Amino acid sequence: MIRWFKNKAEKKATPPYSNEEWVKLLSEPANGEAVKHLRSILIRGLKPALAKYIDRELDQFVEDVAQDGLLKILDNVQTFRGESKFTTWAMKIAVREGLTVLRRKRWENISINDLKGPNPDSDSGEIFSDIFASDEPDPELTAAQKMVMEKVKKAIDNILTEKQRKVINAVMVHGLPVSIVAEQMGTNRNNLYKLIYDARKKLSNEFEVQGIDPKEMLNELSDT
Amino acid sequence: MKTLNKNIIKKLLKAVISTRPDELSCSECCDEIESFIEMELAGKTPAKAMPLVQDHLNRCKDCREEYEALLTALQELKADRL
Repeated sequence: MIRWFKNKAEKKATPPYSNEEWVKLLSEPANGEAVKHLRSILIRGLKPALAKYIDRELDQFVEDVAQDGLLKILDNVQTFRGESKFTTWAMKIAVREGLTVLRRKRWENISINDLKGPNPDSDSGEIFSDIFASDEPDPELTAAQKMVMEKVKKAIDNILTEKQRKVINAVMVHGLPVSIVAEQMGTNRNNLYKLIYDARKKLSNEFEVQGIDPKEMLNELSDT
Repeated sequence: MKTLNKNIIKKLLKAVISTRPDELSCSECCDEIESFIEMELAGKTPAKAMPLVQDHLNRCKDCREEYEALLTALQELKADRL
């Protein structure tokens, strides 16, 4: 009798599923219809979400991402906390999967060690200064602006570690994704974000110690 | 001596000035992003309700890209109430 009620309840689960139904249906052994349904949802959402990053074979890419995302979702279904719709959570996983693949592809031939910037074999901060330099002098700069930039350059050279300069160079100057820099440095996004945060904090403290107001420096550099 | 690149210095100064002690990490932002986006889809103002998430999105390009892509995906699905 209990089994009859259970079977009846399971048969009632038809899309759109509730969060509880999704978790139940996707828990091992996963329900084939639910998996198929989630896959179609992922594909429908991923297409417009990733379209601006892909100029050809979008459909095939999205199919692959949906499949890989689906596997991650199934592996992690028990970690869903129920604080959002299940499909929001699942789509987040799939979107992250897609963007991770795209970032790796885009930056696969770029090494943070090859970027113009600090020489990893050198502990001289002076080399890093070239990151913030242009080849041609800027005739538009006023004497006060040059002074401000010199102060910032000195703080960078004197206060930040080689690693912090390297990461700031990659992320803030060259625009590499944090996730790619983290991978290349054998760490994770959180640690890398923290490293940048610490660098910002150190610079902020240094300016304070020197009695320099960074807002005033920024105002000085503004073209108004 | 080479001339410093003004725009990069400005960018760096802005980042330094806006540094705050309670910034979220990427994983903390990721944990909150579903709620943030669902508020947005419901026509509410998540930036006010969850300012630390908004702050992290303003700073972190990776998380911002993921948020924008997820928002686009969910807007596509919204009409179907999936």
